[in-house]
This record gives sequence, structure tokens and C-alpha cells, in this order.
Amino acid sequence: MNRYLPLAILSLAILSFATLLLVIIPGMQIDKSGVSPGLKPYTVAQARGRAVYVSLGCLYCHSQQPRDEAQAPDGERGWGRASVAGDYAYDTPHQLGTMRTGPDLMNIGDRMPSQGWQLTHLYQPRAISSWSIMPAYPYLFAHKDKADPGDVVVKLPPAYAPKTGVIVAKQDALDLVTYLQGMKHDYAPPAEGLRDDGYALMAAQQHNNDAAKASK
Amino acid sequence: MRDKNKQDPRLPDETFEPYEEPRRIPMPVYWIAIALAIWGVTMLVHVSYSTKIADKERAALNDQAIAANTPVKSEPTPEAGKALFADNCASCHGDAGEGVADAIPPLHASDVAKAGGATAITHIVMRGIGGPLIVDKADYDGEMPSFASVLDDKDIAAIANFVASDLNGLKSTVSPAQVAEIRTASADLDPWDGGSGLAGLINGLPAQPASETAAAPSPDAAATAALATHGTNEIWSCASCHGDKGEGTQTIPRLAGLAPAYLAKQLHDFKEGTRVNDSMDYVVKSLSDTQIIELANYYGAMSSPSGARPSLKGDLARGEKIALEGDWSKNVPACFTCHGPSGIGVGDKFPGLAAQQPAYIAHQLAMWQGGSRHNSPLGLMAGIGKSLSDADRRAVADYLASLPPAAANAKLALAVSATTKEAENGQ
Repeated sequence: MNRYLPLAILSLAILSFATLLLVIIPGMQIDKSGVSPGLKPYTVAQARGRAVYVSLGCLYCHSQQPRDEAQAPDGERGWGRASVAGDYAYDTPHQLGTMRTGPDLMNIGDRMPSQGWQLTHLYQPRAISSWSIMPAYPYLFAHKDKADPGDVVVKLPPAYAPKTGVIVAKQDALDLVTYLQGMKHDYAPPAEGLRDDGYALMAAQQHNNDAAKASK
Repeated sequence: MRDKNKQDPRLPDETFEPYEEPRRIPMPVYWIAIALAIWGVTMLVHVSYSTKIADKERAALNDQAIAANTPVKSEPTPEAGKALFADNCASCHGDAGEGVADAIPPLHASDVAKAGGATAITHIVMRGIGGPLIVDKADYDGEMPSFASVLDDKDIAAIANFVASDLNGLKSTVSPAQVAEIRTASADLDPWDGGSGLAGLINGLPAQPASETAAAPSPDAAATAALATHGTNEIWSCASCHGDKGEGTQTIPRLAGLAPAYLAKQLHDFKEGTRVNDSMDYVVKSLSDTQIIELANYYGAMSSPSGARPSLKGDLARGEKIALEGDWSKNVPACFTCHGPSGIGVGDKFPGLAAQQPAYIAHQLAMWQGGSRHNSPLGLMAGIGKSLSDADRRAVADYLASLPPAAANAKLALAVSATTKEAENGQ
């Protein structure tokens, strides 16, 4: 352990090589791919809702990256098409997520457009799915004796409704649902969009096998 | 003192620095390193093919999209019209437009087509038609769907011109631009109301039967519409998920135009637990039997354009084959044997499939396969679901999404029986 200089040079070289391949080159590629045509910037309410999404840590259980048909049946689940880099152009920081404890939310606005459903589900997921392990978010809602004009009342089954009065959504809940309703990446992905094509070969082989079997 | 400083030769030297003699790296390590390098390079080359294949697929799709969106200046050719007729019309009207006695009016040498010409044909293709109609002195009373959501202006012009000139020997033609005008004018209009509905459209129309007086609207119609569009204190509205026009989205199904008896059975199945879906289980808990019938009739009578587009990258040709012919190598019968020509649905047991959301169809097929949906008569769908591969499910779902939606049939409406109501009022 007395040849410090060569050791230091070698470790720095390895580190900068990894940074180049894993950070700098991908960063340049993503910069080149730009915004997906068809993607709209967030509205003010959606941006506020996104901040709520980030602050609640939704990404610890929900990803925002549907996969290709060859990789996973995300399309059949209604989770939408595989995403491309340009779909995240307005997301800083992105909320890709790696855990799928809950379903992917990249196209939740397309799959479940109902504001009423989302509010009930945020207030008490067990009111809809008895087996759900998602936490309830009662602090996004307020208990009132009577709804004021303009209040959005949460629809609840008798078992979960308060004995008197109503549950109304606070601004944070409304913003979060507006953000979720806007999660709709249903436009055609750009042909040049940066994406993972690693499974196309497998899909083509599978397709050929199926065709060969069918023709037998 | 000197003797004391002298180290005992039996103890190790405290100033000793351990070191290793340079030794040769064993040969197996070289072999493993070389093998890993070769494997890595092979993988890189292999995966680069994958990217090339994906690029090629995208380029092909892109070319298709460009071809479909390029406005065609030239008039559509008769050959194109013939091919489109065979794809879209012949399954009901026959290959030569001969029709089916008592069921489907002829298009070949038909008096209505002759009187109306290509323009009237375009109007009917665009909006669809349903109700009593007399063609060549024969009575018909069927439903034809609107093709507006699945055919573009050029295709409709080609079909209308083919029917007018080749099948009826007329000189009248329409251009894609005229079709576009008719499309704008007919947006959001209901299908033509049988032969009497065409009276204002076609001069010299042969005598037509009077339009059936629509059934008196149920006294609860307004309440049902409110339930469907606004929900109650406990439940969300139907429209908030299924769409204002009942067209569905992703795994939420299209409801518009499905047979009311089928819709009512599904709602009862949700209630009894023989069909499972958390959101629907929640909703049906607070629906009465009368409300179920009223809602089934509400959506059964709804005509709306298709909200579905192929989106699962399914092989449309393969999907068409499964739907029309089945795949007997896998013991899969044709979808349309039971679900009717072009998937328009048959009776109470076989729902319409045309224009259904592709993710919904693929998801349900997977659920039949896995057994989490098991409410089909005789377990028919379970067997079919098990035989279809993942790619087949996507192919058939995408093909069905490319079809025009079946027309709503008001005659299928369910009656709210007096006993159901009394039982509920007595509660």
C-alpha cells in the first residue's frame, strides 16, 4: 500500500469512465431527443398536484414507466404504451420509480378518469378494495357538518361515511387528482424517441415461432 | 546489555514487511477473462440487431401513418372501392351486394340506392340506419352501424362510388372533399330513422313504412340519466369512468349499444359475486334491481362512435383470422360464430365485441384464462381464453377495436316488471 499515486489515478480513471458512460452520454442523448410531440406542459393545478405527489412519496410504491409488450403485459393491464424519454420532458425530478407495489401510474388518467373514484380511493382505499395495502390519506380531506358551495363531497359507502356531516376534499386532494387525471400519454410516441429496444429481437423471434406453429 | 538487545532467533523479526513473490497468473483466469470478453461482444452485436428490428418496425408504422394521413388528390379508384366493400360491407350485404332475404337489404340494383345515388349512400354509411325500411318492395327492419369512426373520407368515397357505379350502374359519384363536408354535417347525429328518415334525403324514394313511434320514455328516464351522469351520494357516476358516450377507455369497457339483457346480467353477477371487479362491486351494492334494468336500457339504447383504436401492437391480420375463421390448430372457434357478423353481438348471451376497448378485451381474455372471470354460459370462454397466447389476445383485441361499433337496438330494451318494483317499494 505504498504506491498511492498509481492507485489514485486508476480509481479516478474508472470512476470517470463510469460517469461518462452512465451519466454524460445518456444525458446528451436525452437532451437531443427533446419533448415528445403531443405532450402538454402541466397546468398550474396539475403542477401543484405533482408537488403533492412528490411530497407524499408516491413513487416509493408506484412507477411511471410502462413496459413494452415483449417485456411485460402492461398494455393488456391498461397501463398504456411503453414510454419514451421525451414523455418525461416536464418532470423535474422525474418520478419513474422502481417499485411496483402498486400499479404503474403513467396513464392513470386514461385508465381511471373518474374524479369521484380517485377521491374515494385516496380517502380510504379499503372502501373500494378490501385487500388493498395502500395507505389512506385522511389528512387530505376535511370533515364538515355541511358542504359549502364549491366543495367537492367525497362519495363514501355507509361503512366508511361519517355518522353526521360530510367529507370534503381539501385543495391538495383536488390538485393531486387533477394531476392524476392529466396523466394521459395516449399520443403516438415519436419514431425517433429514446427508448429501450432490447426486447424487440425476442418479440420478433416469438412472433416467428407463433407464425410457424400456426402454419403447421 | 548487548546480549539483551540481541533478538531471540526463534521469534519473528518485528521489522519484517510481508511481501509476495511475483507469480504467474494461472491459465484458467486468462481463459475466463477471454470467454467473458467474447460473450460481452457477442451480446452487444446481438442486441444491436434488436435495435435495428425495432427501428425497422417503427419506420414501417410511420410510413403507414403518413400514407393514411396524406390527403389524396386523385379520385379513388374502382379497384380500391371493391376491396374496401369486400372488407367492410360484404360480411352482411354479401360479396355482390345481394343482401340476405328478410334481414339485410340488397345493394345491387336496389331501388333506394338508385334513387339516392352515391351521396345518399355516403350519408347512410356515415350515420348508420336502423328501423323499418322497404327496398325492392321487401320489408327490412335491422340496424346498420355508423362507419364514420373507422373509415376515412377517401375510403367512404371509394365505397359509395363502387356501390353507385358498379352495383347500380349509376353515374353519380362523390369526391373525398364532399364526403368530408357530409362528415362535418353529420357529426353527433343519430343513425337515420329507417326508411321514413331518408325521405328528406332522397328524392323519388320508393314508398316507406312509417317510423315506429318511439316507446314512451320511462317515467324514470330522467332519474336514470342523472344516475348515469352524476351518480349519488354513495356512488360515482357511470359516465365518470365509462365516458359521456359510454365508449369506455383502456380496461374500462364500452357499454354503448350492448344488449340490455347482457348488461343487466353482468350487473347482477357483480352483485352476486359471480363476476368480480372491485369498483363495480362497490357500485352495484347500492343499485336496486329496477335501477339495474333502467341503466341497462339506458346504455343499450345509446349509439355512439367508436372510442377504441388498436393500441396493443397486435397483428391485425392474425386478429382478423381468429375473429373470422378461428384457429382450429388451437381449438379456437371464430369469435363471430357466436358474437355475430362483425362482432355486433347476438342475443343476451353474446355481447357485441366491435369497437370494444382493446385493453379490456385482452384483459378479459387473460382473466378467462386464469379463471378470475368465470361467468360465461357453459364455460365457453374459459376454454378459448386458455388456448390463446399473449400475442393472439393482443391481435384479436386490436382487430376488434378497428371495427365500427354495433348500432344500438331499441327493441332489446328490458321491461321493468311490476313485481320488481312492488318488492322494492315494499322494502
